[in-house]
Amino acid sequence: MKVDRIPFEIGKATPRADGSAKVSGKEKYAADYYEGDFLWAGVKRAGVPHATIKGIHTEAAEALPGVIAVLTWKDIPGENRLGIIRRNQPVLAETVVRHSGEAVALILAESRGALKGAIDSILLEYAPLPGVFSAQEALKESSPLVHEDNPEGNVIKAVSVETGACASAMGECDVVVGGVYETPVQEHAFLETEAGWAYRAENGACVIVASTQTPFRDCFEIAPVLGMDPGSIRVIAPYLGGAFGGKDGITVQCLLALALLHAGGRPVKIWWDREESFLAGVKRMNATMHYRLGAKQDGTFHALECRLYYDGGAYSPLGGEIMTLGAEHAGSAYRIPNVSVKGWALYTNNPVGGPFRGFGVPQVTAAMEQMVDMAARKLGMDPLSIRLQNVVRKGDRNCVGVILTHSTGAAECLETILGHPLWKTRDEWKKGAGLFKVRGVGLACMAHAMGYPPMVPDEARAKIELTAEGKIRVYAGVVDMGQGNASTYQQIAGHILVQDGPAMELVLPDTARTLPSGSSSASRTTYTYGNALIEAATDLKKAILKAASAQTGGTRPEEFVLVPDRVRHIPTGNEISLGELAGSMDGPARTATGYFRMPVTRERLDAIYMGPHLIFSYGAHLVYAEIDELTGQVEIARYLAITDAGKVMSPRVYEQQIEGATAMGIGYALTEDFKVANGSIVTQDLATYIIPTSMDIPRIESIPVEIAEETGPFGMKGAGEIGMSGPMPAIGNAICDACGIRILRAPFIGEAVHEALLSGNAEEADL
Amino acid sequence: MNVYLPGSLSELWSRQEECGMAQFFAGGTDLFVKLRASAQYPRALIGLEAVRELRSIEEREGAIFVGAGASHTRLLSHPLIQAHFPLLAKALRVLGSPPVRNMGTIGGNICTASPAGDALPPLYALGAEVELRRRDRSRRLPIHEFILGPGKTALAENELLYGVWLKKDDSPALFHFEKVGPRKALAIAIASFAALINSTDAGIVKKARFAWGSVGPVVVTSREAEESLVGFPLTRESLQRIVPIVDKIVSPIDDVRASASYRRALAGNLVLRLAEYGPREMGGKGEGLTRT
Amino acid sequence: MKIRFTLNGEAREMETDERRRVIDLLREDLTMTGTKEGCGTGECGACTILVNSESRLACLMVAPQLDGAEVMTIEGLARNGELHPLQKAFIEYGAIQCGFCTPGMVMASLDLLTRNPSPTEAEIREGISGNLCRCTGYQKIVEAVSAAASARKLGGRP
Repeated sequence: MKVDRIPFEIGKATPRADGSAKVSGKEKYAADYYEGDFLWAGVKRAGVPHATIKGIHTEAAEALPGVIAVLTWKDIPGENRLGIIRRNQPVLAETVVRHSGEAVALILAESRGALKGAIDSILLEYAPLPGVFSAQEALKESSPLVHEDNPEGNVIKAVSVETGACASAMGECDVVVGGVYETPVQEHAFLETEAGWAYRAENGACVIVASTQTPFRDCFEIAPVLGMDPGSIRVIAPYLGGAFGGKDGITVQCLLALALLHAGGRPVKIWWDREESFLAGVKRMNATMHYRLGAKQDGTFHALECRLYYDGGAYSPLGGEIMTLGAEHAGSAYRIPNVSVKGWALYTNNPVGGPFRGFGVPQVTAAMEQMVDMAARKLGMDPLSIRLQNVVRKGDRNCVGVILTHSTGAAECLETILGHPLWKTRDEWKKGAGLFKVRGVGLACMAHAMGYPPMVPDEARAKIELTAEGKIRVYAGVVDMGQGNASTYQQIAGHILVQDGPAMELVLPDTARTLPSGSSSASRTTYTYGNALIEAATDLKKAILKAASAQTGGTRPEEFVLVPDRVRHIPTGNEISLGELAGSMDGPARTATGYFRMPVTRERLDAIYMGPHLIFSYGAHLVYAEIDELTGQVEIARYLAITDAGKVMSPRVYEQQIEGATAMGIGYALTEDFKVANGSIVTQDLATYIIPTSMDIPRIESIPVEIAEETGPFGMKGAGEIGMSGPMPAIGNAICDACGIRILRAPFIGEAVHEALLSGNAEEADL
Repeated sequence: MNVYLPGSLSELWSRQEECGMAQFFAGGTDLFVKLRASAQYPRALIGLEAVRELRSIEEREGAIFVGAGASHTRLLSHPLIQAHFPLLAKALRVLGSPPVRNMGTIGGNICTASPAGDALPPLYALGAEVELRRRDRSRRLPIHEFILGPGKTALAENELLYGVWLKKDDSPALFHFEKVGPRKALAIAIASFAALINSTDAGIVKKARFAWGSVGPVVVTSREAEESLVGFPLTRESLQRIVPIVDKIVSPIDDVRASASYRRALAGNLVLRLAEYGPREMGGKGEGLTRT
Repeated sequence: MKIRFTLNGEAREMETDERRRVIDLLREDLTMTGTKEGCGTGECGACTILVNSESRLACLMVAPQLDGAEVMTIEGLARNGELHPLQKAFIEYGAIQCGFCTPGMVMASLDLLTRNPSPTEAEIREGISGNLCRCTGYQKIVEAVSAAASARKLGGRP
């Protein structure tokens, strides 16, 4: 055999497994199925933010040609409730609608035309209810209640973190800075809107192929609604056309399953259009954050006080948990001995808040990192020195009081900036601004926890198989929503088993074939599943070498090595193909599994709701920004992103995460503002909700600080979210560096910057 | 809804007579977005894309004629437009995106009559005339008499925007176009400004033409502003004199993209940008008033 | 109505409704799902196809506009099972993440390289500015297009 096949290697860029199919248009996403005699299903949505339903008039719709069925809550066989932590969201509204995108009726039709006609023909009769449209409003005693039966009023979750003695410590500070920051609602705007199809399997099971990050959890979430056993629902997640948290949980899945019950045995397809995705999909929660940071004259941070208000919208399946992660990260990557953080996630009649890359962390990082710059300016220090002085190092306690016993590379990230030409030559660049332009340089330092909190075991079960045909088949238990983790799984297994792409197969998440391994989220997909897979692949390797030895008389397994497609006997050079070997092994011997559970802290478990995290990724960002004095528009000229996400396993996939998160963060900082007025969405489409184009994003330089995380697969940590939190504060700091103005509400659109320039916003905004 | 794509003007007129209430469309980049959002379709659509005559860009009678169906991409790369009307080419370069420019047409941009239409400020500054046709009749109007308000034009029933006439003016002129949008591509103008300036060798303005987009129901022009710059160099100080005039003539609105007050401020500020072309000692590029 | 056109080099004749959007005709009627729909309003570029060698948005066209046209979709780019150099560059340079924008992005890049075989970085950014990508930050896409342009100068096929 000609040896030109190069097995996968850790640390080396390899082409993604999905590259060829995606670039040639062959990859089938959930939206791409038009199988058989299928029906279209679609939803009639509330259209008003808060009202009592007096009548749902479906007769006209039902009478239309091509309309098969119009379903309401009365057609739901089980419990009409969805939710992950709190089961309180109806699949179809009963007597009340709580946000304008709420589903009221489900329609099945022969064509999309008939579907649209039916949706338009359903008449909803309401008695309007007063609404509540902001988090602060929701907290007021006098506010209308979004959920009458919630014992805490409009509070989804309130948390409190106290370390040290913040109140007295604040008085000991030489300098105290403060401000009230507000971050906007952000829309995921993945290119593939929520989509899926469902069909009845021969065994009667309900099969749902959907664009979802959480196939296993979905089965358990929707089964009670349908009055079914979770085992009779199978969810398959193909490659997703982007998700970023917006497909963490139920979107179309339950509607598909319900529709299938009325489809007369025909498959059913749902594909929300962009406007429906904007209306009904979850959003990054807006946050209003009151901050006070106190420091000693020498620059040492001494006290931090934060009050955080997150708008969870009408249901917010994970709103309390998102805010909680924000509260845990309120002090970013610094040592602050005296901390008081109180946070509230609140119900309002706004669109549903939910997970979005970074969970609740980008909000607080935006506030904290601008506070750090304010403190630096007040103390006359440079923003890099003050960060280096206070940044957490291994062995320190973080703001929640957890001792950081794992890899902690925040300081190394900042030191990399210190030595970088972009930092050293920043003053020259600033001087080169043209007429009507001013230039500024900004910094941010970030931390992002990996995995679920201790109360929710973060675990994965990997499975790998030598197929009867002699291929190595990896059962990817965690969804690949575009980040390339499935390819990385292939790389891990290929590396251990010395195989290359053509020798391998991938099975994407499928509740009937892969093992439950948790969600594709929380910077945990490769860390947790990768560890489980290492164990599985290592076991399979042993089994293969043992089988080779058993087949070859008088040899020991140690005398064999794996090469692509084959096993080689080192002393003789004889080779056996994996196919041949597979024939000699029985099914169970050809399959191996692995299990991993992320380590958690054992101390301070009561420091915060669900317990604090132990392992973090870190980053430091540097931005060059140019502001146009005539228009207020901000242009990003250069961007430097330094990241500690442990060792880099797959450089290109890693860079994709950092560059992509940074670009998304730049959008969050500069243009993305999902506007809702009295519960109605103002930015209804991609023409008015502005995400960056290729001309708005600069060249991003990404440098990894490769500190091995001992518990990580090949030393890696999660890299998917850490880049998201840097751009907003870095750009805010750059604007302040350029013009001396501090804009407290993001995004920093041209108009806001122009207005701040006119009014000369002082940096200090005292409480 | 029937859709026709006649191959010639005569076929187009026959179709139109046959259909009665038909709607013309060119690139469809606005129309099909509107149709998607509406519950009603027009009885018939007549597309212009197959009528060769409507796509022509040529020199006629000492002027340049641009057929209503000429795409933005063809216009902005056409030698006649680049040679004589680089201002128009510059504005079209930032319209929408490449596929939108491939599909969209000058006629569509004019008939949509949006105050934010990117081609409009240059066309006003260039003193464009539009030619309107029926089967038996043709008439010409200056563009400012054709566009009456947002979405409103002087098109009579069964009348077609046939094309645009642009007078050649070969005296050296500075051309300037700036669009302020929410991002750099795929953007609808928050405000835009087009300027054509002739000057002496010493850099003193002899003649100026200005037009603002997105700061009123139609493109805004001002003879007063133009004349008040004559005799002055392009410096911040001299340009500043225009700002109060601009402030009087614009009537912007608040919408999802920007507030009226921001638009008002931009209208004045965008004029100041012309200082970039002014004397080097005043912070300009010192390039004088030659074509850039 | 009946329309005749060439799709990826192959003559087609089909009966269709005049109101049928080209994107639906491609995806649903011909099950060529490589062309994606991301917005339906011309704002994202995911449905970019080439019509008579120019990029067009399939969501803003109706079936009759294809009559007599030469249409190329992402499915027509590879020849005899071999990917186009531009497609290979997208893979090699890591220009693909979720991949939902990729077909449109490749078609827009092809349109650019047809008109401008040696684009600068700024010209590439402008050339793909009608194609939103939410995953990559565009950098690797720009690098892939640039590399494909350089490779073509060295004798690859157009």
